[in-house]
Amino acid sequence: MRIGSLEDLQEAKKKGLKGLYPEVTKISVGLATCGLATGAREVYKALAQEVERQGLEAAMARTGCLGLCQKEPLVDVLMPGKPRVLYAEMTPAKATELVAELAQGRFRGDLALAKMVREEYVLEDRWHAYPLDGEAPELEAVPFYQDLPFYARQRKIVLRNCGFIDPEDIEQYIARGGYFPLYKALTEMKPEEVIEVITKSGLRGRGGAGFPTGVKWRATRQAKGETKYVICNADEGDPGAYMDRSILEGDPHSVIEGMIIGAYAIGAREGYVYVRNEYPLAIKSLAHALAQAEEYGLLGRDIVGSGFDLSIKISRGAGAFVCGEETALIASIEGRPGEPRPRPPYPAEVGLWGQPTNINNVKTWVNVPAIIARGPDWFAGIGTAKSKGTMVFSLVGKINNTGLAEVPMGVPLKQLVFDIGGGVPQGKAFKAVQTGGPSGGCIPASLLDLQVDYEQLTQAGSIMGSGGMVVMDEDTCMVDVAKFFLTFTKDESCGKCTPCREGTKRMLEILTDIAEGRGEEGHIALLEELASAVKDTSLCALGGTAPNPVLTTLRYFRDEYEQHIRYKRCPAMVCKKIIFAPCKYNCPVKTDVPAFIAHIARGKYREAFEVIRAVNPFPIACGYICHHPCEDRCRSLETGGEALSIKGLKRFAGDHALRAGIKPLARPRMPGRERVAVVGSGPAGLAAAYDLANLGYEITVFEAGPIMGGNLAWAIPEFRLPRRIMEAEIESIKRAGVKIQTNTTVGRDLTLDDLFARGYKAILLAVGAHKSLKLNIPGEGTAGVMEALEFLKMVKLGKAVPLGERVAVIGGGNAAIDAARTALRVGGGKVSILYRRTKAEMPAMKREIEAGVEEGVEIRELVSPTRILSRDGRLASLECVSMELGEFDETGRRRPMPIPYSEFIMPLDSVIVAVGEEPDLSFLPRDHGLGISRRNTIIVDPETLATGRPGIFAAGDAVTGPSTIADSIASGKLAAVSIHKHLRGQPVVREYTVTGPSPYVEPIERTEEEIELVRYRMPCAPVEERVGNFNVVELGYSEEMALKEARRCLRCDLR
Amino acid sequence: MSLDRVGEIIERYKGERGGTVAILQDIQEEYHYLPKEALAQVAAELGLPLSQILRVATFYKAFSLKPRGKYLINVCLGTACHVRGGERNLEKLQRDLGIQAGETTGDHRFTLEKVYCLGGCALGPLVVIGGKYYSKMNPLKLEAVLKEYALGHV
Repeated sequence: MRIGSLEDLQEAKKKGLKGLYPEVTKISVGLATCGLATGAREVYKALAQEVERQGLEAAMARTGCLGLCQKEPLVDVLMPGKPRVLYAEMTPAKATELVAELAQGRFRGDLALAKMVREEYVLEDRWHAYPLDGEAPELEAVPFYQDLPFYARQRKIVLRNCGFIDPEDIEQYIARGGYFPLYKALTEMKPEEVIEVITKSGLRGRGGAGFPTGVKWRATRQAKGETKYVICNADEGDPGAYMDRSILEGDPHSVIEGMIIGAYAIGAREGYVYVRNEYPLAIKSLAHALAQAEEYGLLGRDIVGSGFDLSIKISRGAGAFVCGEETALIASIEGRPGEPRPRPPYPAEVGLWGQPTNINNVKTWVNVPAIIARGPDWFAGIGTAKSKGTMVFSLVGKINNTGLAEVPMGVPLKQLVFDIGGGVPQGKAFKAVQTGGPSGGCIPASLLDLQVDYEQLTQAGSIMGSGGMVVMDEDTCMVDVAKFFLTFTKDESCGKCTPCREGTKRMLEILTDIAEGRGEEGHIALLEELASAVKDTSLCALGGTAPNPVLTTLRYFRDEYEQHIRYKRCPAMVCKKIIFAPCKYNCPVKTDVPAFIAHIARGKYREAFEVIRAVNPFPIACGYICHHPCEDRCRSLETGGEALSIKGLKRFAGDHALRAGIKPLARPRMPGRERVAVVGSGPAGLAAAYDLANLGYEITVFEAGPIMGGNLAWAIPEFRLPRRIMEAEIESIKRAGVKIQTNTTVGRDLTLDDLFARGYKAILLAVGAHKSLKLNIPGEGTAGVMEALEFLKMVKLGKAVPLGERVAVIGGGNAAIDAARTALRVGGGKVSILYRRTKAEMPAMKREIEAGVEEGVEIRELVSPTRILSRDGRLASLECVSMELGEFDETGRRRPMPIPYSEFIMPLDSVIVAVGEEPDLSFLPRDHGLGISRRNTIIVDPETLATGRPGIFAAGDAVTGPSTIADSIASGKLAAVSIHKHLRGQPVVREYTVTGPSPYVEPIERTEEEIELVRYRMPCAPVEERVGNFNVVELGYSEEMALKEARRCLRCDLR
Repeated sequence: MSLDRVGEIIERYKGERGGTVAILQDIQEEYHYLPKEALAQVAAELGLPLSQILRVATFYKAFSLKPRGKYLINVCLGTACHVRGGERNLEKLQRDLGIQAGETTGDHRFTLEKVYCLGGCALGPLVVIGGKYYSKMNPLKLEAVLKEYALGHV
């Protein structure tokens, strides 16, 4: 049909309404790109097949995108006389179930995302109401569409039809009020009046720069030319923004209508829509709509009988970001390379083929029919003082509800990210939101209250741009983000002007140096200087805004740059040249994790063990008790799986070495290398001794006690780390040439000066932290109250410790769990752990807490002891108080506060105190000349571990307070490096380096079945077999399990 | 290879101003690249120097002067895909296919390209293989998809 009058339009509307609300059930599937990418086509097919098979009288329909892309494929069902019901994340299987219910005249309420009882007709200023759900009790629990957090705060003007109409049906567009504004403009308004209305509405360019649309139109109208053009800029090149695509796919007529009205106002006779090549579906949808509009007499000659002519063609982009710039876009339509030219003259005067041309963005055009229909005052009433109307944002990146959200200008950023967007996934911390694409910037958490409009974003150093909002969390590295954008702008720079072509390249070189660990002091200043030069002197906006991502990240995240430059660290663990592989980067001693796992996967267990031992003098013990930070950021977690059991595999390699009797080679002492004394034979001391011995030094370790190994030997219970393991480790260390002298207390038997006098040229103090902290409550000295370390030591040495029936352990660390589990084994009937915070905050390892609970340890959270009560000089009971969590303290945890008058009494036979330890420095003579901290630790230069006295170094828990075996080993190794430098006369400074690559191990071939997401559980002794003995609880992987677990590795080391 | 269709394509845009880009796009669609002879023919028929045609053909990234494989793989590295680890998809494909971005496998089955944003940002990281969109991709899922192609299931 051809529309030549208002009656014709009304007629088309009637037909369209029948399409929108048919007399039978209508099932619509969102078939825009987002839907297709998640299998909407398969869902559509399945639904259609089921409808056919089950004989349901229903119409199948296609529609565009409703904006909640995260939940695609979306299906909506319209049953006459019922609310409209929306189904999310549909699958072909769910489709079958759904149709079966629909055939019974019922909805599947349990599968429904929302029900809709009204739908806005923006152009007609009315609501279409659906019946309430009285007729459908199964929908009672289903939330209302307008109550969904994602939609509740949205106001749809631009996206008014997306997801509500079939984009291929022009009559449905007309049914929702479309083309009526066109009719009004062309038959009732003069072109100047149209421009006046648009000017008055305050509409600004939605492409990002925000130039007043009415002003632009007037300039083009007033310009002299043989002919004039209108262009729709749909070259949506900003990565992260896709609303233009969504509109072209879901509601193409709204763009066409806006362009025709604009062309009429300006006096243009020809129009172009410049669409990027990467949007095949949008091009198809638009081409279809253009042909349809022409068929209906809404485009082409004598539009709606008004005498006005306009033809619109599609011009496809060919993959050049710069073509989003208007002069480059014009060059591209003209068939030339898309290079920009200097302005003025602006396209309004000299545009396409030299003629006056008006270019507007897709969303700008889509606003036009709404403004004509509802009037300028209505539009100007939405938004902020200078930014009118709404803005469509694409919420993407690290955000729960990814999708398109349209909100009034001026909405606080916080609302967009947290209320509409649902916040950051997996409980991670929000870091920044990037707006405006490569021309924009990163806005930090501190600016979350910012009210999003053109002015506020500019003030924050970013821009509105096309509305992309890429949310970044703690796992996003801001140096990497800056580098990413500069890579983009460097690639997309057309090369015409020097500042942009060369400047972006040089900036990228510097950023690459920083991201790859070659950053130097001065690089930041250089970046800033280059940035301002590129900004000020580039020809077009591409270069002019290219430095923005660098400048904003420098402004808000300078510390991250400094971490990369000075310490070769990437806190977010992204920059791969710095971190290499997250497991290795996170390992305190930088174990080549991918390499040893690859060896295990190939059945080369000896090689695997050698890789571990290359950096770790306790390769077997660590397999038993390491706190495995390597597993925290295993990439397997990011691909929907569980982290590899790196500790379990290390244990397997270590046990193999033990069985096979693999021992290190003895290293002879190197002539000329000095004698070094190490005080303390714990992991820090022995690690330093081992490394120094391997460097050829003559090492003597002085141990005050009778056994070697420090905490590892006598504080870690036998059921976690058997003594024979430590014996084997120490045997290997001795083979490397380390001499150990037990029962020798430095300070008493030998002074520090004695050691120097005996020819030791350097001394390392690695005496650990063995002095238990006190509860500081009345009655602490009472018999029956003991310290955890003392208790564990006595048990490990085989001494009898009578505990009685009821035992309480106070504390939440590993020592507390070890003590509780040990107490159970030596006859404590009922063992309770009292902890002042909650179980979730216990610093002990999760697996150990679980094991304790399995064995029968009771954990009482939020309890703090206040007084020890005695009878006949012996412990009788403990008075405790209940706690609650208050404000966050400086460690980021909530501070426990006692609840007044909540005291209670626990009758007890023994109390074991495990509230922490500090170094026991009583061995030091009065004039030791070392600095001691308030926490009773030895003060050192943290970079080198040198103390205030030349030649004396300190490492391990004596410096840090209680830590882990891996951290102690790392500390000892650092001390060895510093001592080596000191003795070789080199400056004792720490050199920071990136985590280097692992030795290459050929990857294994995996079949599809072998791609497993779940880790192999560590086999453990059954709980009933653990009682009353100290046998090792974790039994270790079998060879078969280890092979399979190792084959799960994603090999992040390979590039 | 027959270049019969080139003349037909040029004919489509006869009399239209600025048809060069569109003509090259249609040729690329037909042959998956721009054969040298086709470019010469375009230049001759439009009466333009070959250098001018080549300048357009080399300016835009959508054009390829080298033959491409049966399946074009586009790995999206737009911002949204990037922050969700899209880079690792590229690394995985480069490793498993033994080619770098921009190259074609020896058997002419796959051409690997990186692309900045395909507009599927909400469902990233995105990989498009032979026109089929794969959403929320990661190296493990890619491994499974590639196996499907290797087994001839696709």
